[in-house]
Amino acid sequence: MTPARRSSLFWWLAALLLTSGSYVSAAPAPILTVVSPDEAAAGQEPTATPTETQPTSASESAASETAEVSAASSELPPAVEEPAKEDTSLFGKINEKLKPVDGFFGRVNEVTGSVIFYPLPLGAGQTVPLGVLWLVMAATFLTLRMGFINLRGFVHAIKVTAGKYDDPNDAGEVSHFQALTAALSATVGLGNIAGVAVAVGLGGPGATFWMVLAGFLGMSSKFVECTLGQMYRQVRPDGRIMGGAMYYLSNGLREMGLGPLGVVLGFLFAVLCIGGSFAGGNAYQVNQSMGAVGQTLPFVKDYPWVYGLVMSALAGVVIIGGIKRIASTAEKIVPLMCGMYVLACIVILFKNAGAIPAAIMTIFNSAFSTEAGWGGLIGVLIQGFKRAAFSNEAGVGSAAIAHSAAKTDYAVREGIVSLLEPFIDTVVVCTMTALVVVITGAYDYKNPEMDSKMKAQYSFNDDGSVKGIQGAALTSEAMDGQINGFRYVLAAATALFAFSTMISWSYYGERCWAYLFGDNASMSYKIIFLVFSFLGSVISAPNVLDFGDLMIFGMAIPNILGLFLLSGKVKAKLDEYWGKLQSGELDREAEQYRQKAK
Amino acid sequence: MAFSDVTVVVPVDFSEQSDFAVKSALSIAVDPKRLHVVHVLVPLDAVSPGVLLGNITNESRSAAVKKNMAKLVEQQSAVGACEEVLIGDPGLEIADYAKKIGADLIVIPSHGYHGLKRMVLGSVAERVIRHAECSVLVLRRKDAE
Repeated sequence: MTPARRSSLFWWLAALLLTSGSYVSAAPAPILTVVSPDEAAAGQEPTATPTETQPTSASESAASETAEVSAASSELPPAVEEPAKEDTSLFGKINEKLKPVDGFFGRVNEVTGSVIFYPLPLGAGQTVPLGVLWLVMAATFLTLRMGFINLRGFVHAIKVTAGKYDDPNDAGEVSHFQALTAALSATVGLGNIAGVAVAVGLGGPGATFWMVLAGFLGMSSKFVECTLGQMYRQVRPDGRIMGGAMYYLSNGLREMGLGPLGVVLGFLFAVLCIGGSFAGGNAYQVNQSMGAVGQTLPFVKDYPWVYGLVMSALAGVVIIGGIKRIASTAEKIVPLMCGMYVLACIVILFKNAGAIPAAIMTIFNSAFSTEAGWGGLIGVLIQGFKRAAFSNEAGVGSAAIAHSAAKTDYAVREGIVSLLEPFIDTVVVCTMTALVVVITGAYDYKNPEMDSKMKAQYSFNDDGSVKGIQGAALTSEAMDGQINGFRYVLAAATALFAFSTMISWSYYGERCWAYLFGDNASMSYKIIFLVFSFLGSVISAPNVLDFGDLMIFGMAIPNILGLFLLSGKVKAKLDEYWGKLQSGELDREAEQYRQKAK
Repeated sequence: MAFSDVTVVVPVDFSEQSDFAVKSALSIAVDPKRLHVVHVLVPLDAVSPGVLLGNITNESRSAAVKKNMAKLVEQQSAVGACEEVLIGDPGLEIADYAKKIGADLIVIPSHGYHGLKRMVLGSVAERVIRHAECSVLVLRRKDAE
């Protein structure tokens, strides 16, 4: 056994022992809001927002209640639930043994969650979680600082992604298009399908409008972090690239004379990313996709460990076995599946074309409606913003790892490509889901036209949102009602999305592991990763899973601090690049590459 | 052992210490032909975009390393040295290679890692010392991390 493996096992066992000794019965379990893979990918609202900190006025009106973002109102048991009767099976016993660990994580979540998601009062009895405000503020600031690059860079982004400016001789590992595909596979997931349904259920149709707006603003955060990823990447002697937030935080801030701060932020980012990759980007994906697949294939529901075993075996074959064909096939199918999903949504929208103007009116009206007071309006806004932030990971810093590998001589160019990511993930895919959910009326349990069969089949929270993983089921049902048999396509898509998200996150986590422990230490990481994959299917330990999500969201703290401090450098690079683009110099260069290639 | 007509293996990672190591090794081997410059690559992963979607392979990595190695060898006036790229655990690969070619000496720079990296990785030099069947000369870095 290598020293690396020994030391990780040591810490693992130490954590287990420490926690098992000190478990005090159920600390008020932070229960999560709707579980979705996007959230998994981007961090989830931790449950840990303590109930007592919620303003009491929130419960006074139905609107405020809807607006309330607290986890308390919309509890979300993950897919593996109902441990009510004693489970004497092997996995039941394992779950029993793991309870102290879960309790420990619950307490840690409370502390970390109370910081990251500290409910800031906004007036009118409303609060906004600090973490969400932090992301939205950054996105707004960076949009202004970069002169609306999200809008003016859009057409150029499409041209670059299409390969118009590709020079095969540039340093890097992948083309612009491939880097975008890789980063997208980490963000597009079940949350685009399930999470949106629940957000619309909670915030009303108006949440869609704010979600789209936040998606647009997030494009600027993504641009800045991916440009920085390219600016501070390292090209290794074997031509491989190492880059990402940990590098621009440590090296970029050192350049500014803030070396010690950079080291601390880089370290913090790497640690949080590793934790997030074990749980949020991995165990959670298995857990949540299993819930969604189980709705269609009951076998999976009855034998969760089989699903866990299959997923972790497939992941193991790829990350330890080095069989890249499975992962590369999945990575290539994801854009196709994503396209199919959008196409299906478009078909449904066409079928209901008559209802579209009314749906859009509903969305706009309820987005700005002050009927339920300002508190209601702010609540809707928060739902939309939160969904976008959780979904596209803009500001989290993860995507910069993938984008740093793109072949280019211009850092800004890859940054511009990356702004398509929140656009596709949030502005297109999430919006499509939202429109389908609004048009079919699936979000509203009070809707008299809602399919009675559906209504009977699902359970709802008091605020009208579907419970738990049923968000995916609801979207699936809504779509299946329109396109017969679509639920099977959707089940396959969710499993595939989950798998490709796991592969992408194992890459993110492993890069951070290598950043901390050296290139040669990755085997210990891979083993822990696979253990978590399997655990995702058998443990009903929401706190452990939430802990990982909290970590992913926590990544935004060091990352955005870095984005603020380094934004001047990015702006200078952007101005230089934009000048060249306007003068036609970049087009002439591209022409030369093409001539050379011939 | 008298340092004459010895075959010397010098592992390099293209850091500044590598320059010094090649220079030192050459001064012992005297003739570049008895000098073996070695670089060990970590095994290729199967999850990064470069491997899954791009065209990163062990061959492409070896070719890139060989290019850098040729440059290094030229800079250190060691043209004619044998250049080898291996894949695997650096400590074991270096020791095995030395055994395979019947080397008399391995000259290896030490990074002097501290903290996390030392705890987890130990050092390549330590592993080489443990596994090598020939003599090992560790060049201590003055400004060790």
